[in-house]
Amino acid sequence: MRRSPASLNRRLLLGAAVFIAAALIVAAIAIAFILERFITGQIDGRLDTQIVFLSSLLRSAGDGTIALAGNADGPPFDRPQRGWYWEIIGPRNALLSHALGDTSFDVPRFHLPPRGDRPAPADGPGPGGQTLHFRIQPTTVGGLPIVIVATAPRDAVTAPLHAAMRTLALSLIVLGIALVVAIVLQVRLGLRPLERLRDAIAEVRDGRRDTVPEAQPLEILPLVAEVNGLLAQNAANLERARAHVANLAHGLKTPLATLALALAERGRDPSGELHALAGVIERRIRHHLSRARAAALGGPVRAKTPVAARLADVGVVLAKIYADKHIALVANAARDLAVACEQQDFDEMAGNLLDNAFKWARGQVRIRADRDPGRQVAIVIEDDGPGLQPHQIRQVLRPGERIDETAPGFGFGLPITRELAELYGGDLDFGASDLGGLKVTLRLPRAA
Amino acid sequence: MRVLLIEDDRLLAEQIGHALRAENFAVDIAANGEDGQHLGETEAYDAAVLDLGLPKVPGVAVLRAWRKKGRHLPVLILTARDGWTEKVDGFKAGADDYLTKPVRIEELVMRLRALVRRAAGYAEPRIICGPLTFDAQTGVFELDGLPMRVTALEWRVLACLALRHDVVVERSELNEKAYDGDADVDSNSLEVIIARLRRKIGHAMIETVRGRGYRLVSAPHAP
Repeated sequence: MRRSPASLNRRLLLGAAVFIAAALIVAAIAIAFILERFITGQIDGRLDTQIVFLSSLLRSAGDGTIALAGNADGPPFDRPQRGWYWEIIGPRNALLSHALGDTSFDVPRFHLPPRGDRPAPADGPGPGGQTLHFRIQPTTVGGLPIVIVATAPRDAVTAPLHAAMRTLALSLIVLGIALVVAIVLQVRLGLRPLERLRDAIAEVRDGRRDTVPEAQPLEILPLVAEVNGLLAQNAANLERARAHVANLAHGLKTPLATLALALAERGRDPSGELHALAGVIERRIRHHLSRARAAALGGPVRAKTPVAARLADVGVVLAKIYADKHIALVANAARDLAVACEQQDFDEMAGNLLDNAFKWARGQVRIRADRDPGRQVAIVIEDDGPGLQPHQIRQVLRPGERIDETAPGFGFGLPITRELAELYGGDLDFGASDLGGLKVTLRLPRAA
Repeated sequence: MRVLLIEDDRLLAEQIGHALRAENFAVDIAANGEDGQHLGETEAYDAAVLDLGLPKVPGVAVLRAWRKKGRHLPVLILTARDGWTEKVDGFKAGADDYLTKPVRIEELVMRLRALVRRAAGYAEPRIICGPLTFDAQTGVFELDGLPMRVTALEWRVLACLALRHDVVVERSELNEKAYDGDADVDSNSLEVIIARLRRKIGHAMIETVRGRGYRLVSAPHAP
């Protein structure tokens, strides 16, 4: 069985629930104890009064017997068989309350309290299976040792106690629930900044934010500062690594150019083998330089590159490079259209595709940029050149392959363009143009 | 045709210079941006080949400085940086063409010739001047349909005249465009070269405009 990850939420809630339950149970026990003592005290007071009353009526008859000088069966001792009884035990006779009728009970063993001025308590069985609460007072009347006993039904204590405890338990349960609900709300409220932090970090990851916002509760501010520091360090390292790759590549190209020119001199490389090797080195450098840039991208970016302006700039460059071909360039792109793409990468894609179009066009190149359904921008580049057959399209998408080895170019333009487009979540499509040549559709995510 | 080459890598500069001279260009080499900018501002060149990563003054700054001062010579950027953003920046600064290292010398020569020809206002590579034809792409002169043999100096003078045929080209400009900075001008003076060219293509083809210079004419008057 897989253990689900530890949850702060659950931990806080469980902890609070256990503590609340324990506290409420302890409180209930304490209250029951106090209540019982209170009710017992009340009953005892009553029984003790009866004992005092009985002893005040008690007379010695002179022959060693005892008698009462009046009626001792006032309420509640007047009702028969209810448990409210009394008994006076003398050395020769015993007096019983009328409520006992013809039943009787045994006086349980008792211990007089140390101070001795109050009757001793005891519980024991009474007539008819009833449990009785006893107060027992040994005393003397006219030199005779006697014991006065007054009883109350045990129910007189437990019935009100149970009734009170039922109400109390209900109140405590309601209180417990209210407390748990309060804790749930508090935990939710307390953990909300963590949720917001998670959302903010997700936004950074999605490229919608540069850093995690610093407006955070005091407790998580250090964490946010650390995360931001890590982000900054990461970005700096990436930039440095990119720069090193670029410097390495460009640093190699100049001596490589010298080498290529030296090999081109008559007699230096009769078989052309060395020149071919120099060409291989050059292509590898170019390929990995482009890859290094592309690989550094890790998902959508916040960059916003205006499509129309960049297409116009690249178009001007190509019009100059291919000045002799007198190509008519028709560009149609909304001014406010922008793609979520680093400018350098957009230039690379647009440049490669337009370069291709200019290279093959006979006289016309057409660019159109439109909003595409699904938050994308579709950039369609068409030419009136020879176009490509389906098998040729597969071929041009393989790095290092060219359809025409004599035309200038290094054969990496289209694969790199496709790779870049896919890294940005876009794609590259080939088709036939109604101008007669190739129609390339580059789709890129639209900038917000 | 005289070309200014600004390249800080000595070995590569020598290689390119050597290869361009073999294609009849007069070549001056500057090893840093400061010297290059100065030469471009003070000497007459038909074109410049400019590296971008230069010591002292970067290539793009050199180019901007020239354009700001009204120097309109065609400039070909030759650099290891092959990103399109760098290309766009280079062209925005005023470049006319862009090649990335390593470069095929044939490609560089072809592009330079095309730049010079376009700067002279020709859209087509073949420049026809009466019986003389100059293919500005291949650099070949033909007379009555037959290829002509010319020395490098003769080629430079004749190319300069052909690119502006029927227009007077100043002596001083011909001198500047024919010789590179280190050349010994006296031994091969312009008059001697013009005389040799006249023997090859006919006296009437090159007119002397007294006090000013020379003119290659497409319809020579009978002598």
